[in-house]
Amino acid sequence: MILLEPQNVIIQTTLSEKIIKPSSLDVQFVDYDGVRFHLSTPEKKTVLLLSMHIRCWDELVKYGALDILRREYGALVATQVENEYNVSLEIDIEQVPADPEARDAFVMSIALFKRNALAAPFELGFKTQKELESSGGQGELMQIHYRDEEAIYIQASLDRVTVIFSTVFQDETDRIFGKVFLQEFVDARRQPSIQNAPQVLYSNRDPPLEIRHVPGLRNTEDVGYVTFVLFPRHFVNPSTASATISHIQLFRDYLHYHIKCSKAYMHSRMRHRVAEFQKVLNRAKTEVATGERKTVSGRTMVSR
Amino acid sequence: MSNVLRPYLAAVRSTLTAALTLENFSSQVVERHNKPEVETGTSKEVLLNPLTISRNENERVLIEPSVNSIRLSIKIKQADEIERILCHKFTRFMMQRAESFIVLRRKPVQGYDISFLITNTHTETMLKHKIVDFIIQFMEEVDKEISEMKLSLNARARIVAESYLTAFNT
Amino acid sequence: MSVLAPIICDNGTGYSKIGFAGNSDPSFVFPTAIATRGSSSQSSRAPAVPSKPGHLASKRGVEDLDFFIGDEALANAKTPGYGVHYPIRHGMIDNWDHMERYWEQTIFKYLRAEPEDHYFLLTEPPLNPPENREQTAEIFFESFNIKGLYIAVQAVLALAASWSSNRVTDRTLTGTVIDSGDGVTHVIPCAEGYVIGSAIKHIPIAGRDISQFVLNLMRERGEMAAVPPEDQLRVASKVKENYSYVCQDIVREFRKYDEEPLKYFERYEGEHTVTGRKYGVDVGYERFLAPEIFFNPEIYSSDFLTPLPEIVDDVIQQSPIDVRRGLYKNIVLSGGSTMFQYFGQRLKRDLKQIVDRRLDASALASGSTQKSSGVEVDVISHKRQRYAVWFGGSLLASLPEFYTSCHTKAQYDEIGPSICRRYQIFGSAT
Repeated sequence: MILLEPQNVIIQTTLSEKIIKPSSLDVQFVDYDGVRFHLSTPEKKTVLLLSMHIRCWDELVKYGALDILRREYGALVATQVENEYNVSLEIDIEQVPADPEARDAFVMSIALFKRNALAAPFELGFKTQKELESSGGQGELMQIHYRDEEAIYIQASLDRVTVIFSTVFQDETDRIFGKVFLQEFVDARRQPSIQNAPQVLYSNRDPPLEIRHVPGLRNTEDVGYVTFVLFPRHFVNPSTASATISHIQLFRDYLHYHIKCSKAYMHSRMRHRVAEFQKVLNRAKTEVATGERKTVSGRTMVSR
Repeated sequence: MSNVLRPYLAAVRSTLTAALTLENFSSQVVERHNKPEVETGTSKEVLLNPLTISRNENERVLIEPSVNSIRLSIKIKQADEIERILCHKFTRFMMQRAESFIVLRRKPVQGYDISFLITNTHTETMLKHKIVDFIIQFMEEVDKEISEMKLSLNARARIVAESYLTAFNT
Repeated sequence: MSVLAPIICDNGTGYSKIGFAGNSDPSFVFPTAIATRGSSSQSSRAPAVPSKPGHLASKRGVEDLDFFIGDEALANAKTPGYGVHYPIRHGMIDNWDHMERYWEQTIFKYLRAEPEDHYFLLTEPPLNPPENREQTAEIFFESFNIKGLYIAVQAVLALAASWSSNRVTDRTLTGTVIDSGDGVTHVIPCAEGYVIGSAIKHIPIAGRDISQFVLNLMRERGEMAAVPPEDQLRVASKVKENYSYVCQDIVREFRKYDEEPLKYFERYEGEHTVTGRKYGVDVGYERFLAPEIFFNPEIYSSDFLTPLPEIVDDVIQQSPIDVRRGLYKNIVLSGGSTMFQYFGQRLKRDLKQIVDRRLDASALASGSTQKSSGVEVDVISHKRQRYAVWFGGSLLASLPEFYTSCHTKAQYDEIGPSICRRYQIFGSAT
């Protein structure tokens, strides 16, 4: 598995199961970036309530997340939001389409709940860019503080949409690995096959020009800024735009996933290497003749 | 093996072989104790002169002989931040498993990356020249392993970046 | 922001149970299997990727990301180029390379959690060597940078799970755990959260053997003739799961069935997995004979002949004398093969008989008129028995003390993997 998938597997599997066999349910689970879900059947077995908590919900609402969710889910968006959560969906299993394909598509769209909520600022950015094409100027700088110390900044301008991720690495090893990875993101674009990909810039410590005026930016060694420059060709039609959004949202998770995978790979290399060294050292051991030791009565002594 | 590395390893090999003349020696301080003198350092007269073999400022070996034990510490080449962290990871991983590497010390001597402690018991139960072989082979391969790990990290990073960016095309 | 729920990961020999604390059921239950590139016949010691570290192929590429776990692993078992491995053997981790990658995909693909934000509760079998805990800690703290780690003994979690039963009044961690999964059955005595390692006993009869026994019985009766050979074992295990129960008297049960077969015989309807052809089998004596092999093993195996109640009694008698009463009083069932109806009652009755007989004998031998007040024997069955270990973990990890008992990343960085050598219990009412 190289790329991460945008949908939530727990929603997907649980929902598919419950559609076939409704039963009462009460589970809590998470998604990347500290998103919490609560899936329950508060009133009857056939009505599922799926609630979501996102850290940056207020910001997302400001950029039109509710409209997007209403567009995607229509009447499913519950008027009454569950306590401690930001937004709820009410799914009546009896209303789910019976056709297997349509049903899978429905389940999939629910599993993309978090993705859709987080898509709002991106869609807004793309829309603003369209408007600016004629008028010129710069769009508003949108800030989404999706994690405690990390944020996404999105700004539309005349011919592009700039997406900036601030990244913080907790761990020294991660920081160094992360640097190697991010450097490759910048360099990879030289490859002819991916000339069409968005331009990537990476800066350590110093925030890029677009967000330099934002107050409260940390200026320490462990902070990095990754800038993606999205050109109109990345959101030329709705399907490309939505693919781009799904993809770019998971950038941080993708990066961290691969840093962790490399560490796991290093571990397996080291395990192998250490075993090899062990073999070399074992060659130094002299053969000690360990004959069977017997007691007087003729029983074999075994050390346990 | 590069030509520069060979004399360095040869020097370590002959010094180590020469130093591995250990004998059973009871502690002069505590009755009925038998401790590696190089570690305790309580009786100065049984310690021999420590010796450093250095290839350049980043790579050196310290050999501290004594009557019943010798301590060998290696400073591994670390050209940049990545090599430093990989070297640290590797040596720590190995020292974590010191139990099975009888001659490995759990902690390196200060200023070095990894240390070995060979006592007279080790030279009695194991073949001396094979222990030397092990250390030389370790020195040879650890550099190779670290640079390979670095290469593979870079290669992975590239693939990861490419596959992420290619996905934008579709 | 409130702390995200801890992740509970119970990796067993056959199945892994994975989910978030606070829930009553694991979010995922799938086989502990990993399908990797390279044939499975290749020695599991040397993984495919680093076996040739000098080779160019290993320098380039991310072959080690090309694998599947769980159900997908089994689905891909037939795909050319993939081989299925089981990284856990007899409850202990056998292949760390595979296990590390297994966890990697569990976390990132299935749970979709950023491990840096979560605490983890893992389980280990009794008598797990401390080196294994250190290696586990190394993987979780170094590769995944998790916030905190707690490694719990499966038997202790099973005890904690029994707190959900309304018959349990005091939350004690003293008791005897009968853990019966697919491969093997353990009887494990625990005293105040610590396993009495010297008294543990294993029984080579578990779920797999019961299914096989059901299959044998049905073949003898000729019922299986209608079932395609490749489906037979699956049908047998379905019969076991859906119709079996423990009887109190085997002779009476036989008579009951013979008098009124129509009332007691059940019919199982199946469908051929490939052709979709329908078939049906009659389910008869298997219903009560299947779990009977725990109590009369001689009907199934010729080399293991000690009934379960006797084993439990032996285990308790080998434990220190001051905890025996507690062990008799709190016998907890865990695992899928203890789910048979009336299993608890039968075990309790048989064990009580053994204990009473011994008390009578000793009273007789001492020749005194004074009689023991008796020993209380109780077997606890509860609703969460199937995933008891996981549920116990979920219960403990949702207690506020959990976070104080965890080893944190800061502690790990300070001291190293050895912090996980010692195991700290918590959660008991003391």
